[in-house]
Amino acid sequence: MFNQCIKHCRLLVWVLLIWTSPVSADINVFACEPEWATLASELGGDKVKVYSATTAAQDPHHIQARPSLIAKARAADLLVCTGAELEVGWLPLLLRKSANPRIQRAQPGFFMAAEQVSLLNKPLVLDRSVGDVHGAGNPHIHLDPERLLQVAVQLSKLMGEMDSGNLDYYQRNLRRFTEQWQQAMMRWRHQALSLQGKAVVVHHDNWLYLEQWLGLTRVAMLEPKSGVPPTSRHLSMLLSQLEKTPADVIMLASYQGDKAARWLSAKTNAPVLALPFSVAEDEKLIDWFDRLLAQLLEVMP
Amino acid sequence: MTIEGLDLAILGPAFVAGLLVLATHVPLGRVVLQRGIIFIDLAIAQIAAVGVIVAYRFGWDTHGWEVQFVAMASALLGAALLSFLEKYFELLQEALIGVIFVLAATASVLLLADNPHGGEQLKELLVGQILWLSWSQLLPLAVMTVVILLCWFKAPKNVARLAFYPLFALAVTSSVQMVGVYLVFASLILPALASHGDKPVKALMVGYIIGGLGYATGLVFSALWDLPSGALIVWCLAVTALAWKILTAMVVSNR
Repeated sequence: MFNQCIKHCRLLVWVLLIWTSPVSADINVFACEPEWATLASELGGDKVKVYSATTAAQDPHHIQARPSLIAKARAADLLVCTGAELEVGWLPLLLRKSANPRIQRAQPGFFMAAEQVSLLNKPLVLDRSVGDVHGAGNPHIHLDPERLLQVAVQLSKLMGEMDSGNLDYYQRNLRRFTEQWQQAMMRWRHQALSLQGKAVVVHHDNWLYLEQWLGLTRVAMLEPKSGVPPTSRHLSMLLSQLEKTPADVIMLASYQGDKAARWLSAKTNAPVLALPFSVAEDEKLIDWFDRLLAQLLEVMP
Repeated sequence: MTIEGLDLAILGPAFVAGLLVLATHVPLGRVVLQRGIIFIDLAIAQIAAVGVIVAYRFGWDTHGWEVQFVAMASALLGAALLSFLEKYFELLQEALIGVIFVLAATASVLLLADNPHGGEQLKELLVGQILWLSWSQLLPLAVMTVVILLCWFKAPKNVARLAFYPLFALAVTSSVQMVGVYLVFASLILPALASHGDKPVKALMVGYIIGGLGYATGLVFSALWDLPSGALIVWCLAVTALAWKILTAMVVSNR
């Protein structure tokens, strides 16, 4: 009965699909994070159909298995994820379960953003004792506009190879994107001058690339080791350290719990800033970064 | 509402895993309910997790079957402890099970205080995700299910009684990693609750039907509404069990 019900439903879906689909998209993109989903649709325009496995409100390290997730992975032609072990907790499982040969490792449809750029903080010794570190290096590269542009170039190239009939279209889109992005970067650099050297406390080691690009100085991290929640001894050590070198702001991603940050803020008077770690739905990448920067400038004028 | 998740290749393995879990948990759940030791499954699962963490702490880098071996062995040890407690402190048993549960749970927190990777391993042991399962992973669970059912139904009554704790430990440890602790608890208790008061054979049938319906509706709705499957199955099991209770009560009062 279960089987039959599914068959009926499938038939219905096909009828609906054939009936309602306007122009069929050429590349089905499965993105692990919203930043890559948005990048893919900005580069691919109406030639791609993009699905994002997570939203900016979710921690991309962990996600719950939903049926649609597997269905989308099965239908995907192109997988766009961060890589560098960020999704190690769920992507391998999803890829196995999807059994989709087009998007397995080493296939053309397997695109890892972190493999297109150089990574910071590559550990010299890989040892579990130093916490939740990523063996390949820090994966949160989308917070560096330069690296994001490098990823865009490679992604656009791949799209052109996969769908060579529309090569011109992808190249045009990339040119427009690059132009706008470079203009924005100039503006951001100028705006961020006042942020140079500001002292920040971060919750988790996911702001590294942003700190570098903006010239922020990290004075402390709330997690004693990456991925390990703060202990009381670590917090009291932070406190005495921050008395000597006060911080201008405590930064965390808006999807993270802010209990520890609020505690520290109450003791040190440094404001807590919950920042959008990624682009919101229907937002352009440029607008997201504008929003991020505006929030930083508001507390550190 | 989406319909694309409604694919047998996606939901099939999860449904079969659910049936395998139910096969052992429905009969075991009846005993759990009779003896009033509802939280024993949480305690056993937690003890299995502690075993794995201790092995890991002593530098045994566990993978695959080694993890299984350590988990099973510690679950069996826990089962021995629990059956000892039943023998000598029968009246306090539920309280002692609770104490063992919190001790085991907090022991794993202490052991993992500075280790996020161990945390992932613990989470895997306790919050298996039913939807990630593929056909090949179901084989060990199927073998284990057959072994447990044979021991349970074919062994002489007094032996089966003695074997309750070890069989329970094996059943819970193998299923928790596949479907997670919430689903194991629900599969154990909800069918047993729904069939409470029925004669043994009828109770088993009712339990299996309710369990099967709960998993089937849970998976289908999770595909239609695109919600996490495990959590929704728990709710569907509860709703099916409740609907069954109301239905039978109405039939009885109409007679």
